[in-house]
Amino acid sequence: MMRLFGLLALLALALVLALSVGARPVTPAVALEALRAYDPTNPDHVTMMAIRLPRLAAGLIAGGALGIAGTVMQVMTRNPLADPGLLGVNSGAAFALLIGATVFGAADEASVALLTFPGAALASALVFVLGGGLRGDVGPVRLTLAGAALNALLLSLVTAIVLVRQDTLDMFRFWVAGSLTQAASRPLAEMALIAAAGGLFALAVAPQIEALSLGSALSRGLGTKPRRVQAAALAVVTLCTGAAVAVAGPIAFLGLMVPPLARIVAGHSLRRELVASALLGAALLLFADTLGRVVMAPSEVRAGVMTALIGGPVFLWVARRLRPGATA
Amino acid sequence: MRGALTLGLLLFAATLAAVMLGPVRLSPALLWQGLSTGEGPGALVLGTIRGPRVMTALGAGAVLGLSGALFQALFRNPLAAPDIMGFTSGAGLTIIAAIALGLSLPMPLLAAGGGLIAAALVVLLSQRRGHATPPLTMILVGLGIGFIASALSSFLLTLLPHTQAAEAQRWLTGSLAARDWGQVAQVWLVGALLAALALAQLRRLAALELGEDLAAGLGLRVGRARMALAATAVLLAAAGVAVAGPVPFIALMSGPLGARLTGARRLPGRMLAAGGTGALVLVVADLAARAALPGIQLPVGVMTGLLGAPYLLWRLSREMEKGEL
Repeated sequence: MMRLFGLLALLALALVLALSVGARPVTPAVALEALRAYDPTNPDHVTMMAIRLPRLAAGLIAGGALGIAGTVMQVMTRNPLADPGLLGVNSGAAFALLIGATVFGAADEASVALLTFPGAALASALVFVLGGGLRGDVGPVRLTLAGAALNALLLSLVTAIVLVRQDTLDMFRFWVAGSLTQAASRPLAEMALIAAAGGLFALAVAPQIEALSLGSALSRGLGTKPRRVQAAALAVVTLCTGAAVAVAGPIAFLGLMVPPLARIVAGHSLRRELVASALLGAALLLFADTLGRVVMAPSEVRAGVMTALIGGPVFLWVARRLRPGATA
Repeated sequence: MRGALTLGLLLFAATLAAVMLGPVRLSPALLWQGLSTGEGPGALVLGTIRGPRVMTALGAGAVLGLSGALFQALFRNPLAAPDIMGFTSGAGLTIIAAIALGLSLPMPLLAAGGGLIAAALVVLLSQRRGHATPPLTMILVGLGIGFIASALSSFLLTLLPHTQAAEAQRWLTGSLAARDWGQVAQVWLVGALLAALALAQLRRLAALELGEDLAAGLGLRVGRARMALAATAVLLAAAGVAVAGPVPFIALMSGPLGARLTGARRLPGRMLAAGGTGALVLVVADLAARAALPGIQLPVGVMTGLLGAPYLLWRLSREMEKGEL
């Protein structure tokens, strides 16, 4: 219980910083005032309502969703290097989005955003199969390399499209770069609902996923159907990653960093871990975004770059501690 | 022997096709006229555009292929390659950093420096006290270094003004557009020197392939030999990156493809086959990238990415079946 309060305090700190720090510093008092009595002629209020709040919402949605997706991926594959970004699921969603925007134009952003879901679903299924998931043992090296290959493939396709259609360049820069700056134009409410649905579904199937992670033989003994649980886990990953990419673009490494931290906070109960992951993911992404506004002020560093710079060393740390072969 | 001949013929045909095909199509007659008299459209196109481009592709492909094959032999793992292990990303990063900071240092030096720093980091970070480093750990750590270098590169990209950013982006993808004879001379001279250096060390590499204990028993200083070989391989990769950018997957594919194409089993044959195959793949990929979409010159890195990613996936499933991963 104390730990939950700690997490909530951390998230509250992230919220306050995300609202107040930036090119135009806004005190928390003014922020509250903007919420209670909005004055469209006050530049502080406009900053708050038109920029900071949507950005905050996008950070909460994407961070929480990626935290959940990362935890589910890591538990199900028993691979501490699993992450929606590194395994190509993010790129799949972003690629589908770019295709949609190229074909249908940017006119209908909300419906184009829906394309992230088939994209994420295809990519996660593909990387899982290619990484050896159907055989029941997904080795960390194999899965990570399969993700890297999928990422490279999608990146090449994206580059080709962008070079062919110059008009997609802006689309590419805004949609495909992991960042919260475009939050105001994204379908925040819809994606919040979908991410929440993904989270609830994850909570519902958590015990089965936990059983499966003990190994397929043992889990069958416990009455779990491996294929069905895998499909459910992939559905969670798809819903959460798709929603995250639709509001923030592909943000890598968040799903890598959050689960081990969540485990420290929540102990070995997947349900508690999932809740902790959502809170931690949201807080971390908001911190990364805020930090990105500060380090190179007045220019901004995209949140996706910040998470990669923080998460890269974490990846190295985990990779060093892995004993290949030990985690089959 | 027959395999080497096949590879040679393929290389010749690919080079010829790459020189003849393009927006201005050169007939054999025009080509011959250009080559023999140094006049006419053949000479112009060859001298200013396609000649340097194709020669750069051949040189860069060869050094990248050789570099990959050296790494794969050194690690005894078909997944070890400078692009997988982050060395080419490191080389790309130093070049982008120099562009962003406005430094005008020679590209090959920058690329070599970045590649060597990345390699040193991979070696340092994958070591653990009192344990032999498993090659797979090294590959994973290398992947991580590559992720970080790419993130830093894309971060630096956002700092550049628009036109420079577009140019740098193209460069980071791996491109052979607008090369000149200076770059050809550079990659061929440096490449030849490094290739000679690599071939001179093949005896030691052959001993290492037998396993560390046996190599040490044969009187080889294992650590030193391995460092020298790895440094040569990194420099070879950097020589390719300096003229063509971090073209993905050439280094990874060339060794195994070359061995299959030529049937070479012994080490020198495998290395030569890898170099030749690298040159072949890069020239063909560049030709395909130029021809794929009318009116648009795709950077060659897009094409090798499209070809190489499925190869890597296929390779993974092969390794999986053998139970090596």
